[in-house]
Parts: sequence; structure tokens; C-alpha cells
Amino acid sequence: MGIETSNKEITNSIRENAKKLLSEDQVDVIIGYSQGTVPLSSTPIIIRKEEDVDKLIWNNLCYINLARYLAPLMPQLCDSERKPLRIGIVAKGCVARAVNVLAAEKQVDLNKIKMIGFNCNGIINRSKIDQEIGEKEMLDVAISGDDIIVKGRDWEKKFPYNQYINELCKVCQVKMPSATETSCVGECQELDSIHDEFSDITDFESKSADEKWAYIKDLLQVCTLCYSCRQACPVCYCNLCFVDQNKPIWFGKTTEYQDIFTFHLVRAQHLAGRCVACGACSSVCPVGIDLNFITRKLEKIVKNRFDYTSGLNAETVPPMMDFKMNDAQEFMLEED
Amino acid sequence: MDQKILKKNQIGKLYKELSGEYSFFAPINKKGNIVFEKIENAEDIILDYLNSKIPPKSVLFPQEEVLFEYTLDDKDIEITDRQDLEQKYLIFGIRPCDAYSFELFANFFSFHGDWKDEIYLKKKENTTLIGIGCNTPRTTCFCTSVGGNPFNKENMDIFLSDLGDSYLVEGITDKGKALIKKLSWLSDATKNDVKKAEELAKKAEELITTKIDVDKVVENLSTCFEDPVWDEISEACIGCGSCAYLCPTCTCFDVIDETDHYNNRGRRIRIWDTCQSCLYTMETSGHNPRDTKIQRCRNRIMHKFSYYPTNYDLLGCVGCGRCIYVCPANNDLRVILDKIKKIEKKEGEKVVA
Repeated sequence: MGIETSNKEITNSIRENAKKLLSEDQVDVIIGYSQGTVPLSSTPIIIRKEEDVDKLIWNNLCYINLARYLAPLMPQLCDSERKPLRIGIVAKGCVARAVNVLAAEKQVDLNKIKMIGFNCNGIINRSKIDQEIGEKEMLDVAISGDDIIVKGRDWEKKFPYNQYINELCKVCQVKMPSATETSCVGECQELDSIHDEFSDITDFESKSADEKWAYIKDLLQVCTLCYSCRQACPVCYCNLCFVDQNKPIWFGKTTEYQDIFTFHLVRAQHLAGRCVACGACSSVCPVGIDLNFITRKLEKIVKNRFDYTSGLNAETVPPMMDFKMNDAQEFMLEED
Repeated sequence: MDQKILKKNQIGKLYKELSGEYSFFAPINKKGNIVFEKIENAEDIILDYLNSKIPPKSVLFPQEEVLFEYTLDDKDIEITDRQDLEQKYLIFGIRPCDAYSFELFANFFSFHGDWKDEIYLKKKENTTLIGIGCNTPRTTCFCTSVGGNPFNKENMDIFLSDLGDSYLVEGITDKGKALIKKLSWLSDATKNDVKKAEELAKKAEELITTKIDVDKVVENLSTCFEDPVWDEISEACIGCGSCAYLCPTCTCFDVIDETDHYNNRGRRIRIWDTCQSCLYTMETSGHNPRDTKIQRCRNRIMHKFSYYPTNYDLLGCVGCGRCIYVCPANNDLRVILDKIKKIEKKEGEKVVA
């Protein structure tokens, strides 16, 4: 089955399930994706009425992780007394993983959330296409069969879909919600563990420490500290981010290399064992920086040390937030 | 003849001749993004670009800038002001919308003359703008709706039109004309060249399909401060600062004192700030008058389309469309303004500027 057909089927099933949730009064609102207004984009949308469900879509540009809007819960998802509404959320696998992490960390009330699950077929690597097109305006990006077709004023370019999706999506093993049928309509799976090979970071791991340093430094040259990576991250929900602490100031906020580097590395550390591999942080970056390999490396360390994968259920607290008497601690002296 | 011709293979010569006198800034490709940087090698200059990702405001109002440096001892603080303000800048290849943004900056940085930001104003005074018309504006461009034009020459010193294998060079201000005179090796333009440039300008204007009824937007904004439309407008926003940082007219900055206690010295710097940050309006008491993204999104629109017209009799938007295509959540300004345009008027509500 081609990607184009699969997208149509997913869109239909999302709409049907959304309609069902609203008509049976199981939820007050649905949060999902709608058609973007510029190529390579999509817009998150809140649906309140049954007749609006046809605005919901699925395509391979629905890169925002919708769990982002749950913690802190945005005002549009609350009633007039600022109490949480019952929310239906269009959930690819990584959205559900993020909801699970938020639930395990007591940030969301799962009783108020229904997932609309489906078998996600991956997200297009926006910046890779953007870079290859260069200084020509894209007017339309569409999937035809198994290709991504990019059209401009008087040109057209074809990209094979399976080569132009995010590296994370290529190795993804949680394509549909890891949830139970009571918390999910549509497709879902029950998962205890997955066998992630972390093959997406093989290249990075093979570099020497100096090479890694130079590689990251080079990537960060264009960072403007707009914090879109932090803002798009579904599990970054602190009321006051460490980098915003100003009484007293904890970190420098200049564009000098050490400040930018510190922000990104400390942010990544805060995600150790919590990153759900959605890739939203790199998809949203306005200057196309992809630092997923850092969080992925941390995930791998956590997996090896604690046999833990984030967001597979809503009960297990991420290991970095938990303590057990038999925790292995020798790594504190090791290089990894 | 006032109009000259610069051949595309003469850019290196132009750079060589001017880079001694001026700090020569031009668009380059930095990790896949077009940005204005000080040129070290003329071959890096890219002129057939759509528009830069980071606006050229970064040249005169960089993201991080030292205001002054100081040394401390037990009794005194000695302040050293900026010593480099006599430096002459040349911004080469700037687009008309971005050049116009400096006119807006002039208002902000001199606040009706009551107060003057000498660092910015001095730098601007020492800057020469060599701009270039947009042969192929983006579909997200709407400069013609906010008083601009893809071939607007008004805010430039020298204006270039891309004729294919050469540029038509026109001196606009006295400063620009004098500079052209110094470049005696430029050949004269023919009538045909001038005609071709006029045709390109006409064609470019026709390519701008986004039209915004700005008057109606400005009018409606004066009465819709409490309208529920803002809930809808801010729905998708994830609260990052990319719209503001990449906006050529956003001027907000934060001031930070960095003290090196070990060496008894320090510096006061300013860095870009954005009203989209939750800390932007946080008061010392802990109260935050804009503590939801609904209020913060409203402020961005209000500032550009209501407060600017009220305070300076100018629009705070140049129609470059950057915020449209860089927004991670695709919270499209065109859609936002359309929603505001369609608000039905209610009486009795006034905007708080």
C-alpha cells in the first residue's frame, strides 16, 4: 500500500473516530492536525463540533507533537473555570509515548484524555528537503504514490519517501499508541519493551570526542536561541526553564558559543530517559538544526543501564526521576 | 548618465574596492540559511536569493551587542564606551522590505527625539545600503499591502536590478551617487537596460498575490482587545520566539550586566528579547500581566498593527512574510489578519496602547 493511500485511510479513520468521540460525548474537544498554509507544514487545530471533524488531516508533515499542548495545559483546553476539558488527541505513537511520560510524571490526568490511535507512517525531514531545494520557492508539497513531489513555479522535484523521512522515523518501533483499548480509540498496541538498535546514531557514536565536539559546534553556528526546540518538546514543561532563571541568572543567554552549547546540552540532559523520539525539536527548528542524536545517545545509555524505554506505559517513572537501592552507579566514574 | 551597469563577474572587484573602507556585509549561505555576514571572500556573496532567513537587522542591531565595558575597584567604576562607532558599514544586496525596516528602527531608537540610542543611530548614520529588487517575490510576500514594493528604492542609497548577467546600478541618495562616481569603472547603462529593469519591476509587482486589507485590520484592532478571536489565533502557537527573532521590525532587547568578579571588570550587553517569552513582562513582584500565550500572541499583532500606527503613524510590518514561513506551528499571519478583518465591530471598547 502506497503512502498516499495510507495517508487517506489514516485521515478517514481519524475523522471517524473523532466524530464518534464527540457524538457520544466522550470528549469535549479534539486536538489534531489541519492542512498547513505553506508547503512542508501543518497546523495543530482544536475541534469542538462534530461538523468540523473534516478539518482534521493526516499527512507526513504533522510533525508537531500534540502532547505539547497538554502540559502545561493550554487555556483553550480548559473550561471557563480553568478546569481541564475532556480531550481527544490525535495520537501517533510518539504522541502517545509523550502522554504516557506526562502521566507518569503526574502532569496530566489520563482519565480526561482519549487517544485517537493510528499506525503512523513517518514524518518528512523538512530541513533536508528545504536544503536540497535551496533558494527557490516551494509552492506545493504532496505525496504521490511513494514519492514526495515538490512543485515550484516552473519546476518539479521528486524525492523518494523512504529516504526523506526523519532518521528517527526510520528506526521507530512505536508507530501506534502504546495504550489500552479503554484509553484509545482506533489502533493501539500494548507494549512492555521494544528492541531499539539505535542504528540512527551509529555515525555519531563512531566519532572521537574531539570530532563530536567539532560536529556539534558546527551545527550550532546558526542557532538563534529562539527556543522553538524547547517549546515544541512535549516533555519540556517546567514553569520556569533553567535558562530563563534570572533571580539570579543561572546561564548566559548570549549567542556566544558556550551559552548556546550549554543550553542545548543541559536541555538534552533533562531529557535523558524521557525523550520520546518524536523529532519535533528538529522539525520545528527555523534554521534546520538537528540535535536528536544527543538525546538518542542518552536514551541508549538509559536503556543499557536501566532497561527502560520512555513512554511505553503511563505508570513507570523515568529512571532519572526515580531511585532504587539496587541502581547501578558505577557509571558515574566511567566515560561513555 | 546616472544609471550604470555592474557585471555579475565584477562583484569581486566591487568588494575589493570597498571592503577596505567599509565593513562589507552581504548575504551568504550559512548551513543552509541565507544570513547577512561580514564578507571575507567575495565568492560567498549570494544575490539570487529569495530573502534572508535572519533579517539584516542583525548587522546594525545584532542579537548580542556590548553597550559598554567597565572595571571596578573598591571605590570607583570606570566605564569604557564603545570605541568602534566610527566604523563605516555597507550592507550589500538588501531587499526593499528589509531596507524599509530601518526606517521603523529610526523611530524606535530615537523615540520621538525624547531619547536617543546613540549606538544604533551612529551605526545607521555610518551605513550605506546597496539594495536589490526582488525579481521573484515569494507567495507569502505582501509588501504591496503595507506600503512597500518589490522594487521600492526609497530607503536605499544605491539600488540594483538583476538583469540576468548584469545589474543595473542606480544612485538614489547623494551618498549613493557619490559612491557610484568613485566606482569609475562601472559602464554606462543603455536605455534598453533601464527599460528591462522597469519591466522586471512591473512583473515582480504582479507576482505578489497576497493582498491584505490593512486599514480594516488596524481599524478592527482598536476595538477587539477582549475579543474571543485571540483564543483561536493563539491556539496552535507553541510559544517560541522565531517569529520575533526573524522579524525585521522587532526591536525588543534585554539588558544584562555580566560581571567578572575575579578580574574586577564587566560589561553591559543587550540581547534580543521577544514578547513571546513568558518572562518578557514578568514583574519583580511575580505578577505577569501577559501570563498566557493568548495575551502574548495578541501583543505581537497589536504591536505591529495597532501600537505602531498609534505611536508613530506607521505600520510595524514590512510584509516580508518571514513569520509566515518560519512559524513551527504554521500560525500564518495572513490567516490571523483575515480573522481580525472579519471581526464584527462592537462599540465602546478602546485599545490600551
